[in-house]
Amino acid sequence: MEARESLPEWRELSDGEVVRRVLDGDVELYRVLVDRYQVEFGRLAVAMLGDADAAEDALQEAFVSAYQRLGTCRHPDRFKHWLYRILANRCHDIRRGIAPTTSVDDLPLRAKDRADAATLDGELGEALRGALDALTPEQREAFILKEVEGRPYTEVAELTGVGVDALKMRVHRARDALRRTLELWK
Amino acid sequence: MNEEHEGFSDNVHRYLDGEPHRPLTAEDRRRADRIKEISGEIRRRSGRRLDVSDRVMREVRRSQRPSQPAWVRPLEPRAVRLRPAVLVPSLAAAAIALFLAGMYLARETADPSRPLALVARNDTVYVRFELIAPSARSVYLAGSFNEWRPDEIPLARTHDGHWTVTIPLSVGEHSYQFVVNGERWVPDPNAEAVDDGFGGRNSVLVVGPRGVVGS
Repeated sequence: MEARESLPEWRELSDGEVVRRVLDGDVELYRVLVDRYQVEFGRLAVAMLGDADAAEDALQEAFVSAYQRLGTCRHPDRFKHWLYRILANRCHDIRRGIAPTTSVDDLPLRAKDRADAATLDGELGEALRGALDALTPEQREAFILKEVEGRPYTEVAELTGVGVDALKMRVHRARDALRRTLELWK
Repeated sequence: MNEEHEGFSDNVHRYLDGEPHRPLTAEDRRRADRIKEISGEIRRRSGRRLDVSDRVMREVRRSQRPSQPAWVRPLEPRAVRLRPAVLVPSLAAAAIALFLAGMYLARETADPSRPLALVARNDTVYVRFELIAPSARSVYLAGSFNEWRPDEIPLARTHDGHWTVTIPLSVGEHSYQFVVNGERWVPDPNAEAVDDGFGGRNSVLVVGPRGVVGS
């Protein structure tokens, strides 16, 4: 078991300052960015994928990929937005590869242990996952950020790089599609 | 957005967006609240905290250290020869001339994907950028002309995976890259490039008053 390092003073640094120091050679400082965003983006990944195991893998892959390409992050102070895009693209790619009828019984044991708390499981969860699967990737992303995460449109626009009007269209169509899909859910 | 959707009315969407709305019918409110319930249920089921710090740092320590970014050191200037341009006195004429120049230059060049230049004023040149990326979901242009912001200048997808944008550039040297899917930086495969000294390459173009610079 690894002891978690205590880096209290480094938590005051901006994303840009951390990125620059990591690129200068202070590799361990990258943990500050991981700690800073893993909760927020982990929740997002679970919502987008409907599976905690897959979300954990996607999140880890996104952080590692971001580190390996850190020199290409043109605006270190916007690391969060850049990381979000890497994670969102990874989630899109995983959804294209995940079978829509994945059963909990097929998942590794540790995933079953977390099934109750972190997956769209059970009869209702299956219905929700099916409803989200029916959305386009753009609608699903916008719906999760706006409705599930509760972010204002301006924040979602900044995160995704999509204009507010286009986001509203996606969210509205997602709502309409969910209403039709879950019409029988009581 | 004023047209009615198949589904919720615009008024219900405004209610769900937290915007001013007319009073809802009982049925509209029930259905709108159902959406809120759905969102809340997804949020509750996604609430478990994921902790990947240790696993990420193990991979980070095993990885090769990322190289310094290209903008740390100034680029060495390098002249690039562009296709001959047509002098145009106004923006309106430039729009027409751009189309005509495109046809002229398409016949003249065997490689239409190279940056296309058209002079609009003595100090500004319209340059068309193009990237062939059939599997891309988005392509943006970023460079020294917009402080390398990766989400500001979108290319439009035209046909067969071609992405293009035409922007005015001031006379002088400009370096740039394409940003594919919001995360992958790609030099222009059809433009001159400059080694940044750190293993990377930036595309570079130099525009003069007439859009042509000798190399």
